[in-house]
This record gives sequence, structure tokens and C-alpha cells, in this order.
Amino acid sequence: MNATSAIEVRNVSKRYGSNAHSVLALDRVNLSIPSGTVFGLLGPNGAGKTTLIKVLTGISDLTSGDATVAGFDVRTQSLKVRARIGWVAAEVILDDDFSARENLWLQAKLQDLKDWEPRADLLLRYFSLADRADDKVSKFSTGMRKKLEIALALLHQPSVIFMDEPTIGLDVSTRRMLWDIVAGVHQEFGVTVLLTTHYIEEADALCDRIAIIDQGRVIAEGTPSELKGRVKGDVIELVSAVPLDAARLRALPGVQEATSRGDEWTLRVTSAEATLPSLLAAVGQDSVKHISVEKPSLETVFLDLTGRRIADEEPMRDIRKFYAQMRQVRR
Amino acid sequence: MRSQFTGLYLREILRTFRNPFVLLITIVQPFMWLAFFGSSFANAPASVVSSIAEGHNYLAFLLPGTLSTSMLSVGMFGSMSTIQDKRFGFMKRILITPTSKGVIFLAKALGSATRGLIQFPIMIVAASLFGVHFGLSPVEWLAWVGGLFCLAIGFSSLFLAVTASSTDWQTPGVVSNFITMPLMFASTALFGGQYFPSWMQAISAVNPISFSALLGRSFVLGTAVPWIYLGYLAAFAVGLLVIGWQVSARWLKVD
Repeated sequence: MNATSAIEVRNVSKRYGSNAHSVLALDRVNLSIPSGTVFGLLGPNGAGKTTLIKVLTGISDLTSGDATVAGFDVRTQSLKVRARIGWVAAEVILDDDFSARENLWLQAKLQDLKDWEPRADLLLRYFSLADRADDKVSKFSTGMRKKLEIALALLHQPSVIFMDEPTIGLDVSTRRMLWDIVAGVHQEFGVTVLLTTHYIEEADALCDRIAIIDQGRVIAEGTPSELKGRVKGDVIELVSAVPLDAARLRALPGVQEATSRGDEWTLRVTSAEATLPSLLAAVGQDSVKHISVEKPSLETVFLDLTGRRIADEEPMRDIRKFYAQMRQVRR
Repeated sequence: MRSQFTGLYLREILRTFRNPFVLLITIVQPFMWLAFFGSSFANAPASVVSSIAEGHNYLAFLLPGTLSTSMLSVGMFGSMSTIQDKRFGFMKRILITPTSKGVIFLAKALGSATRGLIQFPIMIVAASLFGVHFGLSPVEWLAWVGGLFCLAIGFSSLFLAVTASSTDWQTPGVVSNFITMPLMFASTALFGGQYFPSWMQAISAVNPISFSALLGRSFVLGTAVPWIYLGYLAAFAVGLLVIGWQVSARWLKVD
């Protein structure tokens, strides 16, 4: 293991089931996550992000490969790993029958902490929850519950925190608040953060390094600017009212590639500004139902790598959000 | 390990006392049992009641059996609490700490057994109000409670082992329906076994509910105490604890 790595993943595969209907959720994943960084796993739903977190936290056994967290093998030293990690779930998971302080007490018991109260008080103050410390958490807002969950994850001073889609299902303002908290926690407590998300802007705003994961495989890794630098040129998306000829589009100046799904065309161009006039002339302005230009971003990186957008998974995201909300209601 | 066990065990107990509905039902249920079941023989000829209760006060005869059968539901509630923790993700929160699955099992089993015993003092008070007189020595009280505790631990362990890998709400209920009636009626909890067919007598002879009911009944009715039954109940508890620990360590899953 690299001396400065918080997490090392070597050829890790995870298969659910053993029959013909088994699913390969992780396919020979390799990662090296440096200590003290915010590392993002970016990918659509079902890409394998949560499975990787389950494997690294000891919730799931890996099928093959090796992984260490905080210097300990996740298979053979699972209890040592779990004493050194914190976890923030996609849905807030607290004991609603308990107060904030009692949830911290239980976490301290589970982590076998002796002198936990000064640290708990510090965290309650840091997250502006000190005034509500003795209130039942069932009366807390979603933002307060998220803050408490992060406080629980930090109570035992872990070296690594896993955040599994921490802002899923949150409104925009709460999501922004969470971003500030994650950035602050990272700076204030010097902890390594492994964060999964399918929000492009979240990964871009928070992460020092990002691995793009799709269908169980890491397909790219680097800093956000390194990843964006892989994409040469801009993307123009066009919806036409009339059939278009791919060869004719590819012949336009600056067009590198033209692909279509029905009447939706995606053109990769050297410079959108240079290509647009000739494109509009070729298609005919009256035939353009919709046109948009996208500069290099993590979204275009994913598009470039997979031919799909992360947002193509939007309906599934809504289903997950629905189930997360249903769980809240059932409590 | 002790710290994790204490935390999880106290959580089980505290959650019971924080749910007013659970508390209310816990208190009311014993009264209902005694009132409805005990009164069902109110107009029966004295000879019939005396025959069933082996010549004793029927409520005094019934009470230890009722307490024993209520330990069956203790196991069901223990496994339902575990499944709730799995479905709402709390089990993940527990498992992403240095807490072994065996400790989680132990805390659940002992927690639900302790919760089940909350009914004991309420039942005693209820039976006293219905005219049952208790002349037990402190040792006999302890032995009676100890026997019931062993029974509750055994059934809690059994339910937790059977539902270790399940996340289905229905499983504890189905398991409960499957084992409750045979165990309750093939025991001497509600009736003496003298009128059972031979195959039911065979089941009753090895049924831990019978041991617990007969042990408690001997204390309440002041008859000869079958102390060996306390040993059987302890063996039942330890045996199922060991099995439950092993099964949970292997099969308790949230994934």
C-alpha cells in the first residue's frame, strides 16, 4: 500500500448471486485514494458506487481482489477498518426515538469511546445543534438531521468518511448547505472523504479527485480539470424537425463526430462558435426545434466515455428519491 | 464488546419505554388475558373447572401458563425490531462500527427477553386484583422470573436465528403463527396434560413452555417444586443462544 493512501483498491470485483442471473456489480476496480483528499465516485445509478462503499465498509464481502482502508485489509481486519471510518448514508439514518445527544451516546457506545462527551459537545456546537441537543431527532428538519448524521460520523475521529450520495433527495438550498459542511469538515477535521454522487456539479464543486464509474468499472480518474481536459472541443445538441444526413453533418467545418438517437443529434465540434453558423445554414433555421451548446464539463466527459449522459438515468433517480421519502414518512 | 452490547441493549429497553402505545398494550394485555380467558369458564360447572385446573383456583392455575406463552410473542417482537433496523438502514449504521454480529444478536435477544419480563409484575398485580394469593419466598420469586427469562431468551434466539437473513416484515409473523399454536396447545400452559392424546403428551414432555408453566404453577399453587425444570430451561436458553449467535454471525445481513 502507498504510505499516503487512505484507501487502496486492487482488482476488486463483486458479484451478486452465483447462478446464471448473477450480477457483476464491480468489475476489477482499481483505485488509490490519497489521505486528506475529497475523492468523488461519479456515475449514474447502478454504476457500482454504493456497492464499492459497501465492500470498503465491510457491509458486503468482495468476490475477488484486495482492498485496504486506513491501512487495514477490509476482509481480514474488518473490525479495525470499522473503528477508523465514518459513514453518512444516502437517506438520513438516526434513531428517531432518541435525542441528538442520545444518538451521539449510542454512537460512542458502538465505537467503544470512553471520554466522548467533550467531543460530542464540540460537534454539536460546530453543527449549530447545541440548542437542540436534547430534543428528539424526529422533530429535526432534514438539514439538521443530515448535520447530526455527519456529527455521528466524526465522533470517533475517523481517518476516512464515506458519504454515499449525501445530498440525494435534498432541496437545492439544503444541498448547498451540505456542500459547505463537507468542505468545512474536510478542512477543519483533516479527514479523507470518499463521496459518491451522480450530481455533476457536486463532484465538480467538492472533489479534489474524481473516478468516473460506469457498469461496475472505473472508466476514468483524475482531478476535475484533468478529466475535463480529456474532452477536446464542445458538444452541440440539436433536435431537428426534418431528417438529417450524418455524412453531411460530419462534412461541416470543425465537426469531429455526429451521432443521433431519433431526431436528437449530438455533434462533437472543435469550437461551437465556429461551427454554429454553418450548421444552422445546413439544417435550416426553421427546422431547428432545439439547439444547445455545452462546453467541456464532467457531463461531457461521461458522454465522451460512454455515449450516454449521467442524467439519462433521471427517472431512476426519481424512484430512489421517492423511496427515500417513503422511508421518512414511514418513520 | 461490552460497550457495544450495553449501548444496543439499553437502546432496546429505552425504545420500549418511549413508545406510549407499546407501553399501554404491555400493561393492558395481561389484564385482558386474565379477564377474557379467565372468565370464559365463569359459568362452567365447578367440577369441570376443578378438573381442568387440577382442583386449584383456575386463575392461579392459568397465570404461570399465560406468562409462559407470552414469552413466545417476545421472540416475535425481537425479530421484528431487527428487521425494522435492517429495512430503515439502522443495522448498517451499527455494522459500520466495530460491533460484531454476535453482539448485535446478544443485545437483541436479551433486550427483547427483558422487555418481555415487564409484563411479569403487571400480571402479578392483575392476578392479585382477580383474587389470586401469592405466598412465594424470595428464592421462589427469583426462580420463577429466572425460568421465564430463560424461556424468553430461548424463543428470542430462535426467532432471531430463523429471521437472521430476512428483511421481510412478514417473516416473524409467519414463523410465529407456525410455532406458537403447536407450542402453546401442546403444553400444560393452559390445561393439564392428562387429557392429551399420547402424541401431544410426547410433545408436551419436551416443550419448554410446559417446563416454565409447571415450574411457575408449583410456586403459585404451593405444590412440589420440579427444580430440574429450571435446569432444562437454562439449557434451552444457553443452547439456543449459542445457535443464534452462530447463525447471526454467519447470516445476519443487510445486503
